Amino acid sequence: MALTLTCPICGKRNGYEFRYGGEDKGPRPAEEGLTPRDWCDYAHMNKCVAGVQKEWWFHRDGCGSWFTTYRDTVRNLEVDAPEANK
Amino acid sequence: MTRLNQLPTLRVNPSEKVSVSYRGKTYQGVAGDTVATALFANGVRIFGRSLKYHRPRGLYSLDGECSNTFMDVDGVPNVRTENTPLKDGMVVKEQNVKGSAEFDWMGFIDKLDFMMPAGFYYKTMHKPAAIWPHAIKQIRKAAGLGVISPDYKMKGEYDEMFLTADVTVIGGGAAGMTAALAAAESGLRVVLLEARPHLGGCFDYRASKYTDDTPLYARARDLAEQVEATENIRVFKHTPMVGAYNNNLITGFQVGGKNDVFTERYIEIRSTSVVVATGCIERPLLFDNNERPGVMQVGCAHRLARTYGILPGREAVFSVGHDLGLEAAIDLFDLGLKIACVADCREDGHDPELMLALAERQIPLLKGWVAAKAHGKTVNKVTLTTVNGMVKRVFSCDVLVASAGLSPVTGPLVLAQGKMSYDSHTGYFLPSTLPERMFPAGRMTGVNNPLSIEASGRLAGLKAAAGCGKDLETAIADAQKAATALPGPELGSKLVTAPVKGRKSFICFDEDATVKSVKQAIDKGFDVPELIKRFAAVGLGPGQSGIPGHNLPLFVAKYTAAIGTPKSTTVRPPLVPTFIATYAGAHHHMFKRTPLHVSQKAAGGVFRNIGVWQRARYFSKDFDCREEILNVRNNVGLLDGSTLGKFRIHGPDALKALQRVYVSDMSKVKEGRVKYSAMCNDDGCVIDDGVVVKQGENDYYFTTSTARAGATVEWLRYHTRYDGWSFHLVNLTDALGVINLSGPNARKVLEKVTDADVSNEAFPFSGCREFTVGGGIPVRAMRLGFVGELSYELHVASSYMQAVWDMLWEAGKEFNIAHFGVEAQNVLRMEKCHIILGAESEQRTNLLDVGLGFLWDRKKTDAKTVGAVALRQAEGDSGRLTLVGFKMENSERAPRDGAIIVDTRVRGYVCTARKSFSTNEAVGMALVESQLSDIGTRLEIFEDECNGERLYAKVVPMPFYDPDGKRMKM
Amino acid sequence: MYLREKKTDGSSLPIENHLISTDLFFRRKGERMFLKSKPLWGKRPRLKSSYDAVIIGGGLHGLATAYYLAKEHGITDVAIIEKRYIGFGGAGRNTAIVRANQRTQYNVPLYKEALDLWPVLTKELNFNLMFNNCGNLNLMHSEAAMKAARMTIATAQFHGVESHLIDAKEAKELVPALNISEDITFPIHGAMFHPPGGIVRHDAVVWGLAKGAARLGVHIHQQTEATAIHTEGGKITGVTTSRGRIHTPRVLVAAGGYSAGIINQMLGIKLPISVLTIQAMVTQPLKPILNHVVSSGAYHCYANQTLKGEIATGAHMDPWPNYTTQNTAHYIKHQAEALSDWLPCLRGVKFMRIWGGLADMTPDMAPIMDGNDPIEGFYMDCGWGYFGFKSCSATGKYMAQFMASGNCPDMLKPFNLRRYENHQLMGETAALVNYTPDN
Repeated sequence: MALTLTCPICGKRNGYEFRYGGEDKGPRPAEEGLTPRDWCDYAHMNKCVAGVQKEWWFHRDGCGSWFTTYRDTVRNLEVDAPEANK
Repeated sequence: MTRLNQLPTLRVNPSEKVSVSYRGKTYQGVAGDTVATALFANGVRIFGRSLKYHRPRGLYSLDGECSNTFMDVDGVPNVRTENTPLKDGMVVKEQNVKGSAEFDWMGFIDKLDFMMPAGFYYKTMHKPAAIWPHAIKQIRKAAGLGVISPDYKMKGEYDEMFLTADVTVIGGGAAGMTAALAAAESGLRVVLLEARPHLGGCFDYRASKYTDDTPLYARARDLAEQVEATENIRVFKHTPMVGAYNNNLITGFQVGGKNDVFTERYIEIRSTSVVVATGCIERPLLFDNNERPGVMQVGCAHRLARTYGILPGREAVFSVGHDLGLEAAIDLFDLGLKIACVADCREDGHDPELMLALAERQIPLLKGWVAAKAHGKTVNKVTLTTVNGMVKRVFSCDVLVASAGLSPVTGPLVLAQGKMSYDSHTGYFLPSTLPERMFPAGRMTGVNNPLSIEASGRLAGLKAAAGCGKDLETAIADAQKAATALPGPELGSKLVTAPVKGRKSFICFDEDATVKSVKQAIDKGFDVPELIKRFAAVGLGPGQSGIPGHNLPLFVAKYTAAIGTPKSTTVRPPLVPTFIATYAGAHHHMFKRTPLHVSQKAAGGVFRNIGVWQRARYFSKDFDCREEILNVRNNVGLLDGSTLGKFRIHGPDALKALQRVYVSDMSKVKEGRVKYSAMCNDDGCVIDDGVVVKQGENDYYFTTSTARAGATVEWLRYHTRYDGWSFHLVNLTDALGVINLSGPNARKVLEKVTDADVSNEAFPFSGCREFTVGGGIPVRAMRLGFVGELSYELHVASSYMQAVWDMLWEAGKEFNIAHFGVEAQNVLRMEKCHIILGAESEQRTNLLDVGLGFLWDRKKTDAKTVGAVALRQAEGDSGRLTLVGFKMENSERAPRDGAIIVDTRVRGYVCTARKSFSTNEAVGMALVESQLSDIGTRLEIFEDECNGERLYAKVVPMPFYDPDGKRMKM
Repeated sequence: MYLREKKTDGSSLPIENHLISTDLFFRRKGERMFLKSKPLWGKRPRLKSSYDAVIIGGGLHGLATAYYLAKEHGITDVAIIEKRYIGFGGAGRNTAIVRANQRTQYNVPLYKEALDLWPVLTKELNFNLMFNNCGNLNLMHSEAAMKAARMTIATAQFHGVESHLIDAKEAKELVPALNISEDITFPIHGAMFHPPGGIVRHDAVVWGLAKGAARLGVHIHQQTEATAIHTEGGKITGVTTSRGRIHTPRVLVAAGGYSAGIINQMLGIKLPISVLTIQAMVTQPLKPILNHVVSSGAYHCYANQTLKGEIATGAHMDPWPNYTTQNTAHYIKHQAEALSDWLPCLRGVKFMRIWGGLADMTPDMAPIMDGNDPIEGFYMDCGWGYFGFKSCSATGKYMAQFMASGNCPDMLKPFNLRRYENHQLMGETAALVNYTPDN
């Protein structure tokens, strides 16, 4: 345990069953007109938030689905989605 | 020595003798003794020497709070003999002494303490520079406590256990037991961990009243009986808790008893709620020579007598700060210990009944007095003083029972991220914020009255049960009322140190750090306990915070007159030092084997661990694989390729998904033909390669490299996660095996096992056919060119693999069929300049750099193929590493893989190079900066250990063998 | 023996013709060694309203840069802004391994210079950094790994750094405790042996550099948090701290694992970094048994014996961003299993203390050192993962040069931030990026 994550299909599971897939950066940008800086921003750059962030996770030792969730990186605990007005 | 054999509190069995061997002599102990108590009973007082000053040390806490009684037991160093059970025949040795613990030649260092103030090593031994290497040797020899031999083999069986519990109770004293019983009432699964071999905690050894007709020790045994009779409480005795993590994950280890199959067992518990009832240790009293053999804490002295039946000495002086000290004095007096006097640093607040009992026994009580100095190598005299230091008196004794007060064992709360803050009433660091669903109970909250202890336990147990979802509002309210009606947290003694300069007042026994050294650290600007810990090495030894944890912040606050209250220091796991063997538990090595593993082994295969698999790398002792290689080139060879990743993708959007991850235009894949392609990551680096076969509309079968098989599903789904496409991925990696049949005679062998038409016309190069072999076994066959000969890659259901292998072997005998392994395959493909990912590619090379640009379809931008953007943007950049083929000027000498290519600086490196038996040249592939990639360029190769002598080669066209590819297309 | 008492004017007087005991003689000498009441890096300075340079982060890189700014460029009007106490972060948590056997030609010279600086700094700072060049072994567990080692070794030798490929038997001669049998998860094929590497006392480097910098006039402000960085027209103008505002034309963020978050939060600049928690531990102290630093890529594990006798070991990182520096039960068990395989005698030894720190990982396992782009006067030194300690002295020297002149020294040019968008990963690891750095 320590870290637990909630898979949308399997429910709350031990964090080590999952693979981390990065900060949520939205869908792949279209190739048209994409500059190296834009590409790098999408492919490599991170905000490194010390706090709650939206992330992608893969349930590797389970159903094999990718999903997003919110996690507080300062406490390493999954949290509920922040209020819409935050 | 005669032991007290009749006490009802004994946890030893005096009639069962156990022996221990120490310094050539055999001593008798009894069953239930620890190593140290058995030695103590036989007159041993000095158990070891301290780390820095080699001061003699003895029994102090009886709970292993410091390294005083560390000894080597049966070859294992640093054993805490004071709480390690004695097993018959144990052989014990002292550590860290030259001579003996009694007469250590290194003892003179103690007189040189003034030369070693805090952090002295930062200021010395580096001038002149030449002395430092010698100093290192001497420091290393002097440092360290125990010895372990490089060949040491840990004896015993180590196991592991993973539990899930509703409520975990840490501590099997009165509070823990009542908490467990309370939680169990609701039918929850309760686990109780107790570090000592028996339940009972601080009641276990005390004769004072629980009720008028029940002494505390009887109550303890009664509670224990109830707990052990409760079905849904699982009790683990002799199980110290060592770690606490997020979400109430608790770890500990259990010491195996006589009838257990394990020596020690690692235990990990996923718990919903936790009750922490770990009680208190004692806060050491700081005075000069406070760590001498003969100085011991109240609990140690009391338990020696009551639990083990051993009087701590003949005549004692007490210097205490808590009623438990007075109680112990009275009880020990009744058991036969002479008491010269009891000094209590408190002026008032003593329990009047205890005062009366002392008076009845004519034991002198000095209020407002404290020990100032202990005398003797082992204690023979004590100087007591008033707390203000004005008046002194000296008493003879052979044991000094000293304690400043109590310290709650808050380690588990701190590990679980609870915050502690100083409470001026009790003098404790108490939790100001608690981790979720973790509840402290008992003495650690500050209460001392037995009924209060139990009431707080019940309350915590009910709260823990409520944390599991049980509706217990009323019960909790009642328990709260009951607890509030009883005596609350007691006023604690605030005495920090005796009124002495502190040069020999030890604040940390393990590191020989004194009050004076702490002052020196503070003066040098290290004014925060965490920094003092590092600079003056306080609390960094095996006992960790056990001895100095409470005193250090109190002292720092006092000495710096800090504004604000004392701040506690960090605590880290493990709370109790734990063997690496115990943590490793029942560790097994696990590998995946192919269906042909056994027969390959029988055929002489030399196996290697490759990723999660075991694969046959060679089939002979010749690691150049000459025979294997030439046999494939001239006859026919068999290779087990089962570890290849194999997948089926199907569904309305299957093609779209393939277009996203493969660089080629997958819509051009035709049925009956194999398409080789590659997947890139967002940097355009080739992350995988393999072949794709079309089985039907939106139905494909594809292969991946062995290393990527486990990540393929993850990868495809990741890169399509926003698209909402409909497709299914089936991982067939383990369901199918793969046999490579390669060589000019391959067709002849295949013809013998199948009726299908496998002529070159019917089944050409790059074709894919499905037929049966051996009269009915279905096979999917592909003609590929990896090793550059006529090759059939046969995909067969795993359960049929051995049968197909055997029939091919039989059929191939007349054509000199032989096994070949991964290394031979490596050389064969190198001669054809086919890349292996990770060998001819790396992080700095993209698809174009490694010569696979022909796979990339640039026009399919709508597919947003992973890697396409990077490839487009990097195209044409000069200086990128580029894959080239080279031929050595000396045809006998191939450079070793990894040799670098240089001129004035590094320009690249050799990926794979061999003396090729097929072409009789020394050839290889290398990655070089693009400026050196033209055919004819001379390359300068720098091998490790070349001593400056370079090797030379020329860039030549690829491939080296059969450039027109005739042999694989025949 | 007779003692002469020194008077303040330098003349001396014999002490009363008494026979002074040897004890007293040495005691006086010992006490003079330590000027009792003087704090190591001076009294707490007041925060001025302006400085020539402000360094956010009181760790090894920040302290080293400040030291060299003062020492080599005469820029002494420097403030170090440290949120907690110096050495709180990676500087105080690392296991102090130093070496110069990196994979690429961009890294080797930097680390080599740093390795050579340890004895020099010891002398300059007059502080024993306790550099023990016991040599490093990097174990190889497959033919492919041996080949990769060859490439690194050839690169090292080409640059004049001593490094050798040895086989399993030779490795066992150096490290008798090594298990070179076949029946472990990753059998040992050989090792990369690097004699000039070793260990240094990390706390000593922090305190020594602080002492050196403070003596030269640098202001070290502890318990002071930087809360904002100010710019105007693309140039740095100042920093706001919890104790007041500072005007300055130069800011360096060298805050270790906290850098990426600070740089994004205060300047809106994102970095190709993932901040992971890395864990380490020590065993109880033992008499000498391990005479070299030994590490294993396959086991994600290293071990070395400190001067105090403890075996320091570690390396595991949970592969997701995590600022907690907390330990996990998973790691401890994994470490014990790994050591049980390749250093089996340690099974009879106990873990004593386990802790964690932050590792800011980049996709190419090489740091980011850049300046004046995109903001003039803004410098960054981060992305050091778990190897920032090894290079701190040389990095400090070159970052100081960068900040003093405004021009990027050649040594630092390959480490710019733009290399990622230019598709020029440094290749300090051969591994490809899947989703994020170190994953």
